[in-house]
Amino acid sequence: MTDPSAVIQRLLPERSLLRLAAFAIVVLVVFSLMSKPFFTVINFQSMGFQVAEVGLLSLAVMLTMLTGGIDLSIVSIASVAALVTAQLFAATGAAETTAMTPVLTAVFILVGMLAGTLTGLVNGLLITRLRVTPILATLGTMQLINGLMVAWTNGRAIYGMPDVFLAIGTGTVLLAPIAIVVLMAAALLTAAFMNRTGTGLRLKLVGANPTAARYSGLDNGRVLMLTYLASAFLASLAGIIIASRAASASADYGTSYVLVAIVICMLAGVNPNGGYATVTGVVIAAFTLQMVASGLNQIGWNTFHYQIVQGVLLIAVIGLNTFSEQGLLSGLLGRLRRRRPVGTRPAKAEPGP
Amino acid sequence: MSTVPSAARRLRISRLRGSNNEGVLVVAIAVLATVVGLVSPSFWSVATLLNVGTNSLENAVFAMAVLIVMVSGGIDVSFMAIGIFAGYSVIVLGNATGIAADSAWLGFMIAIAIGLALGLLNAFAIAVLRLPTLIATLGTQTIIRGVMLAFIGRKVIPDYPPGLESLSTTYLFTDYAAIATRLNVMIVPSIVICIVVSLMLRYTLVGRGIFAIGGDAESARRAGFPVTRLRVLIYLMAGALAATAGMMHVTQVRLANPYELVGGELDVIAAVVLGGASIFGGKGSVSGTVLGVVLIALINYSLILLGVPGAWQRAAVGALLLIGVSAQALSAAGRHRRGTIVQAEEAAA
Repeated sequence: MTDPSAVIQRLLPERSLLRLAAFAIVVLVVFSLMSKPFFTVINFQSMGFQVAEVGLLSLAVMLTMLTGGIDLSIVSIASVAALVTAQLFAATGAAETTAMTPVLTAVFILVGMLAGTLTGLVNGLLITRLRVTPILATLGTMQLINGLMVAWTNGRAIYGMPDVFLAIGTGTVLLAPIAIVVLMAAALLTAAFMNRTGTGLRLKLVGANPTAARYSGLDNGRVLMLTYLASAFLASLAGIIIASRAASASADYGTSYVLVAIVICMLAGVNPNGGYATVTGVVIAAFTLQMVASGLNQIGWNTFHYQIVQGVLLIAVIGLNTFSEQGLLSGLLGRLRRRRPVGTRPAKAEPGP
Repeated sequence: MSTVPSAARRLRISRLRGSNNEGVLVVAIAVLATVVGLVSPSFWSVATLLNVGTNSLENAVFAMAVLIVMVSGGIDVSFMAIGIFAGYSVIVLGNATGIAADSAWLGFMIAIAIGLALGLLNAFAIAVLRLPTLIATLGTQTIIRGVMLAFIGRKVIPDYPPGLESLSTTYLFTDYAAIATRLNVMIVPSIVICIVVSLMLRYTLVGRGIFAIGGDAESARRAGFPVTRLRVLIYLMAGALAATAGMMHVTQVRLANPYELVGGELDVIAAVVLGGASIFGGKGSVSGTVLGVVLIALINYSLILLGVPGAWQRAAVGALLLIGVSAQALSAAGRHRRGTIVQAEEAAA
């Protein structure tokens, strides 16, 4: 318990959270100064509409990273939920609002989310039963599911949803976009699950040290299965919001979000090798990145500039975290090297054992 | 492994199977060829061979880049971005300034120089900043593509400098029976590159070092390999190979489109993984990789031949990758049960 490196390890994440909050404030101030319309209710609302889907996808990636894995299939899973729901509306011609519409909408959303979540079962089975590395398993399912969805829809977007459904992505309550409320609720639930339940603790343990977790009697397979189901559930929720905001569903929506979600997790200080993740960090990081996107857009930069910024941010942030960790721990380097070979075997640790 | 075959038989079977699944791939290719050939007799023509060759010649070179990185224990997703960046930039440069306009050789040299520079970016992120390779190359992929689209150009260019124009129409074989079925002369350098990479991996100190790092970086360091320097070299080589392949692609299609290639990484990664390379490093071969590339090219071509919509190609490659990695993981778990490697459990977790 009095192991000094353990204490430092516990404090480090807090430091990265503080750094993130400082960065968020700097971004906010800089863009508010550079662009007049930035610091307005309208702009924050529009950012709120956009941040929800990306935030939910980031939470999904965060959960898998917590166990030392990764889920690259989130966007494909999101499109499953969106397309199933949209196809149900299209098939029943439920776009016209009737008395039954709210009930039907709820049912269709539930069916869509169920379909999306069950897709996560494929990831879970591949990873736990066949012991495929998460990165390869989800890379494969990403492609497979996306291909199936494109084939199903012939690559076309599906239209025809009732207003009740569209309200999820475009409506507001007391100025706050409904989508943001959904994100916040999901974030709170995820945080409670991670920090207040035994299963959440098990997730962390499996990520921190799978062998130790197994020897302490944990069923790693069950924990991982649950993780990929939870990830798929959050991704499906994101899919519903994407469809609702776009007023249509397509297999091609949101393909760039995989990278964005990973950038957000890295900004938040989530350890891609497992064992540490923070919902607060992910939410702040998602908002920060959205501010960057919106701010750059307002000062006249295009999407390609924003892509460059994303990539640079990603590399800079992890580089910074690695270096500050090394500097801080230089005194304990010898001990830590043996325990957690951060720099010695990055490639080995990377696929997320 | 319910029935334990005799030691001798097991040895013979495992030799047929090859150290990197080469045997399995040969069988898969043969079965696929037979089945498709039965369904669609036009499969049995020179055109098929030329089509698969055309398709494979650039992907094999891309796959060499991916293979080197994967053997060293990393995964590179930036190679397509490097390829199209280099290829597109050379066309833009040649058209705008006339540099390297008359010589395809010079064009390729410039592309390789660009590839080395972009490879250096990966090397910096991975060897110096020590970022996890997937995340680092996801970042550089975005940066590289962003820089190309923001600063170099967004237009599709149909006009080529004369040097590349003439290379693009220099064919090794032409099948006059089928329209537009030819094999570009670039198949020769493509094969040469594969042979050179194979010799490098097998017989040079650098090659052994790459395998050593992939096996265990710390052990490699203690054995005296300059790990950081080797890592830099790995990503420089990968950059140069990716740029060469990108140049081959741009030359072949005769339409420089900056939006191409990126997003198609999985076809190549799947080929390398099917070819027996392990994502944990230390395992992989050029022969397996080339067979993987040919298998995927063959599947894509067969689907077109059978009139299957293009969307199914994506699903097919995904399914193939999943089958390949599952088979590998299962055989690794089998070995684990026999007490050779205690890695499967951690691999799965």
